[in-house]
Amino acid sequence: MTLQLRNNVRVSGNGATTMVFAHGFGCDQNMWRLLAPAYAKRYRTILFDLVGSGDSDATAYDVGKYSSLQGYAGDVLEIVRAFCDGPVIFVGHSVSAMIGMLANLQEPSRFAAQIMIGPSPCYINDGDYVGGFTRADIESLLVTLEGNYLGWSSNMAPAIMGAPDQPELGKELTNSFCRTDPEIAKQFARVTFLADTRAELPLLTAPTLIVQCNDDIIAPIAVGAYLHRQLPHSTLSIIDNVGHCPHLSAPGPVATVMDSFLAQEGL
Amino acid sequence: MANDGSDQTVALSLLDQAACGLMQTVADGTFTRANRTFCSWIGLPAEALVGRRRFQDLLTMGGRIFHQTHWAPLLQMQGSISEIKLEIVHADGSAIPMVLNAIRRQDDGVLVHELAAFIARDRDKYERELIQSRKRLEDLVAESARLQAEAKDRALFAEQMIGIVSHDLRNPLSSIQMGTHLLAQSEPSHGQQRVLARVQRAADRANRLIADLLDFTQARVGNGLAVERTKIDLHAAIRETVEELADVYPGRRLEHRVLGEGTCLADPNRLAQAVGNLVSNAMVYGSPDKVVKVTSTVAEGSLSIEVHNDGPAIPPHAQPGLFQPMARGTNATNAGRSVGLGLFIVSEIAKSHGGKAHVKSTAEEGTTFAVTLPRE
Repeated sequence: MTLQLRNNVRVSGNGATTMVFAHGFGCDQNMWRLLAPAYAKRYRTILFDLVGSGDSDATAYDVGKYSSLQGYAGDVLEIVRAFCDGPVIFVGHSVSAMIGMLANLQEPSRFAAQIMIGPSPCYINDGDYVGGFTRADIESLLVTLEGNYLGWSSNMAPAIMGAPDQPELGKELTNSFCRTDPEIAKQFARVTFLADTRAELPLLTAPTLIVQCNDDIIAPIAVGAYLHRQLPHSTLSIIDNVGHCPHLSAPGPVATVMDSFLAQEGL
Repeated sequence: MANDGSDQTVALSLLDQAACGLMQTVADGTFTRANRTFCSWIGLPAEALVGRRRFQDLLTMGGRIFHQTHWAPLLQMQGSISEIKLEIVHADGSAIPMVLNAIRRQDDGVLVHELAAFIARDRDKYERELIQSRKRLEDLVAESARLQAEAKDRALFAEQMIGIVSHDLRNPLSSIQMGTHLLAQSEPSHGQQRVLARVQRAADRANRLIADLLDFTQARVGNGLAVERTKIDLHAAIRETVEELADVYPGRRLEHRVLGEGTCLADPNRLAQAVGNLVSNAMVYGSPDKVVKVTSTVAEGSLSIEVHNDGPAIPPHAQPGLFQPMARGTNATNAGRSVGLGLFIVSEIAKSHGGKAHVKSTAEEGTTFAVTLPRE
C-alpha cells in the first residue's frame, strides 16, 4: 500500500497495544535499533520514516504540507488509523515528540500514552522562557547544513571509513542512514527549530513520560522542567547522558525509565 | 628499551607536528589528547583542552546542533564518519572552517573517538561562492519566469481587448452603412454619389477588418474558429465568390478554373472568406497587368483551392512564418493592406476543416497560396 511505502512503515511484534516509534530531525528509524527490539516482545511495534527522511518516498515531499509540524502530525494519524486497532503508545524523539502530541490532540481516543525523548516545545528563547537558542543560532545551523550537503551528491550520506568494531552494522544501513535531500533537510531544520507548540501543551490529557538527559544542548534541563509543569499528566525522568540521542548512547537507562512509566500507567 | 623509547618519541613528535590536527576524546567528547598542530590552529594550549573541554564546545552553535543531530548518531551507528565540515571557534572568537574525519573505537576497553582535522578555508570560500551563484541563478530563473508570465498575461489581455473593441465597433459601423444607404436613395448629386460610394467602400473594408480581428481573437483566445460544414458544390460556391470579388477589383483580371467534380463537406462562408483573403493578397502583391487565377479542385479524398499571382517571389526564409499573425512576406507597405491577419485566418479556416494552408513561391512560377482540405 502507498502509505507503507510513503513512510517506509515497518511492523513487528505482537500485542493488543501498539508502540509507534518516530525519529527526530537528522536521521531515520534506524535510530531505534538499540531500543525498539526489546519492546517488540511485549507490544506490536511500528517504526517509520518521516517523509523526506531515510527511505521514505521523497516524491511525496510537499513543500506546503511539510511547512509546519501539522503536516507530519497528519501523516502520523494516517499511519495510526491504517496500522493500529487498539491503543497506541507513541514514542517520539525530539521534534517527533511534539508531532506525536499534535496527532494525539486531533484524535485523543487512539492514544494511551505519549513517551517524549529529548522533547522541546520551542527551541528559541522567548522572554522568560529558555529554549536554549536564538534565531541567529538556527540560521547558523542552516549554514552548517548547507556547507555539509554541498559536497554530497543529492542522495548520499557522508562517506564512511568502515566500522570494524561493529560487524552487526548492515551495509544497507551505512548507505541510507542520515540520507536526506539537502533542500528537504534545510526546510525540515527550519520547521523543527522554529516551531512553537507551547500553547498546545496544557491540552494534552494522555499520561506522558518526559525522558530528559542531564546534558543535552538541544533540549536543556530547563525545557524538560517547563514541559513537566505544562503537561497536565506528566512524569519527568532525568537520565545520565551527554547528548541528544539517549536511545543510541544510553538505551539501557531509557528502557528502565520507560518500563517504570508503563508499569505505573498499567500499560 | 632505548630503541623502543626513541621510536615512541619519534612517533609522538611526528603526530604532534603532523600536517593535520589530531585529537582523541572519550565518548562524551572530553579531550584526552590534542596535537600541537591543532592547538596552534585554534590558539589554545593542550592543557586548556585535555580534561577540560569537549570537542563540541569548540563548535559554533549551528555546528553543535549538527553535532548532536548528525555527527553523534552517525558516529555511534557507523563507527566512523568523514568529510564533515564544521567551524571551530578560535580562542580569539573567529571561526575556522575545518574538514573532519572521526573514528570510534575501543582503546583498552575504553570507548574513544579519534579525530583528524584539516583547515578548509579555500574550500569553504569556494563553496560559499557556489552557493551564492546558485542563489543568483535561482533568482534569475524566478525573475525570468515572472516576466514570462507577465508578458503572457499582457498578450492575453491585449487579444481579449481586440475582441471586445472589434465587437463594439460593429454597431457604429452599421449605423454608418445604414446612413449611406438611406442617403443614396435621396437622389444625391453626382458629386455626393461619389462621396457616398467612397464612404460605403471604406465601411465595407472596416467591416472586413473587424471580422478578421474577431476571428483572430476566437482562434487565439477561444477554441479555434467555428465552422459549419454542409454538403456543397465546391465549384459553384467558389464561382460565386470569384464573381463577387471581380466587382471589388474593377480593372483587374480574375479567372476561375475548375478541376474534377463532386460534392464535398465544408463551410461555404468560411471558404469564401479564405478565397477573399487570398485574392486580396494576390491583388496587392501580384503584377496589376497579370491575371490572378483561382483554381478549385475536387479530388478523390480531398479538395483544394489555389490562388496564383505573378508577383515577385517571396524569399524562402520568410515562407514558413507567413501564416503567423502579423507576418508579411516582403517589406512592401501598402495603404490597401490590413493588419496582417489574412493568411493567419486562412490557415485557421483550413485547420478547422482538418486541412492545411500552404504556399509555393518562385521567381519563375510566381506565387501560389493553397488550402487543402479533406473532402468529407
